[in-house]
Amino acid sequence: MIVCVAVVGQQNNPLYIQSFTEADDALKLHHIVHCSLDVVDERVNNPKKSGPMLNETFLGLLYPTENYKVYGFLTNTKVKFILVTTDLDVRDADVRNFFRKFHAAYVDAVSNPFHVPGKKITSKTFAERVSNIVKSFGMGSTG
Amino acid sequence: MGREVSESCVDNLLIEMVSSYCDRFYANKPELAARRIEAIGYQVGHQLSERYTMERPRFSDHLEAIKFICKDFWSEIFKKQIDNLKTNHRGTFVLQDNQFRWLMHMSIDPSSDGSGLSHDASGALVDNKAAQAASMRLYFPCGIIRGALTNLGIPCAVSADISNLPACSFVVRIKV
Amino acid sequence: MPPIAPRSGDAIFASTERVNAELFTLTYGAVVRQLLTDLEEVDEVNKQLDQMGYNIGIRLIDEFLAKSNVSRCVDFKETAEVIAKVGLKMFLGVTASVTNWDAEGTTCSLVLEDNPLVDFVELPDTCQGLYYCNILSGVIRGSLEMVSMKTEVTWIRDMLRGDDAFELQVKLLKQVPEVYPYKDDE
Repeated sequence: MIVCVAVVGQQNNPLYIQSFTEADDALKLHHIVHCSLDVVDERVNNPKKSGPMLNETFLGLLYPTENYKVYGFLTNTKVKFILVTTDLDVRDADVRNFFRKFHAAYVDAVSNPFHVPGKKITSKTFAERVSNIVKSFGMGSTG
Repeated sequence: MGREVSESCVDNLLIEMVSSYCDRFYANKPELAARRIEAIGYQVGHQLSERYTMERPRFSDHLEAIKFICKDFWSEIFKKQIDNLKTNHRGTFVLQDNQFRWLMHMSIDPSSDGSGLSHDASGALVDNKAAQAASMRLYFPCGIIRGALTNLGIPCAVSADISNLPACSFVVRIKV
Repeated sequence: MPPIAPRSGDAIFASTERVNAELFTLTYGAVVRQLLTDLEEVDEVNKQLDQMGYNIGIRLIDEFLAKSNVSRCVDFKETAEVIAKVGLKMFLGVTASVTNWDAEGTTCSLVLEDNPLVDFVELPDTCQGLYYCNILSGVIRGSLEMVSMKTEVTWIRDMLRGDDAFELQVKLLKQVPEVYPYKDDE
């Protein structure tokens, strides 16, 4: 189950963060997202470590914690997407598929002429699309 | 291929946008009109770069990003690539389009003294009315290029040179 | 010589030079956003978008007549159908339906389910009075004026304001045939 997704801007400024848990652990999740940004920076600045994934937008598993797995994605425009899941057995293809759809939703949201670059994404359409993508995670749907 | 509209939609919108700003809103302030037209282009370039880089790996250096602008990005907009790319290897790139589409429908006397222009130029105004209109129109693609490159992490200044019509050169100076 | 048959909107659109709609959509959006910044008042932006559309419309009519082989539409009813099925299609790639005729046959509605101007657009709360697609009403008013129909074009429904479609009401104010600059076919 996906418990949190986030979009983080070029200056590590949060553009969108949404948790999907009943539990009151938003603070903890925000902390995990925050910590993952350092891992992204490290990966990108030391490309040798990432080997064959050089310059690929999908950054793969950033780090596992005891209860969560954290995945990252970095667009050409230096915007980071973070995915936090409680699933222990996650297929790589599912995560890639998730980011592909999430990216498309993000690109449409910032194509709104009234969206101001670098400002938080407040679009209701985006929130709905994200929620649907999160729900369909791992279900093998391609929509 | 996604949704399409007729090319004259874009042509007419650009003509009208430029003339609204130059002849109506800022009739006596061409430098303000220029800045607004460039800002409109900047927003479009910013958004297009987001869309057009979706399915590709990240660029590893400036040259790669500039080449993307010359090839894929230009093709998406104009159905052709930039014809010639030059660089001085010190952060200046010249992108030449031999048949720049957005000037093709304009009647500009090729013998007239075409002028280089840039939005930080202190305003050596072109005498020739048509060349001036062309200059004004070029702030839009200059803005598009600047918006796209800025969003790809390359802050720059972009100006256009139409001294060799119908060719048009876009000069990109990367800010260090 | 037999008159040349009018061409369908689909046929004209298929043979016309086309571009990626995204460029058009985003450019129009950036223009609207910049106008809001520069003119500040939403009403003034509505007015200027309409004016821009009008100026485009009076130019666009020539391209329309040349490409469509449509001869003069004397009848307002026929004209409305031509705008909906040929005019909108050959430029924007979409068609409208014509409905809500009044008893006199001088007022009708063009209903669009879809419209490339508004892809990606969500109006912020601060622009609730904005007629985002107002350029379109100007284009229709401008081009009709060139074929001697003076009209008033107003928005009845707008999907950006939560309606289920775009509805433009076109009201014929007067028809002045003598100004018409083209020759009849016969």
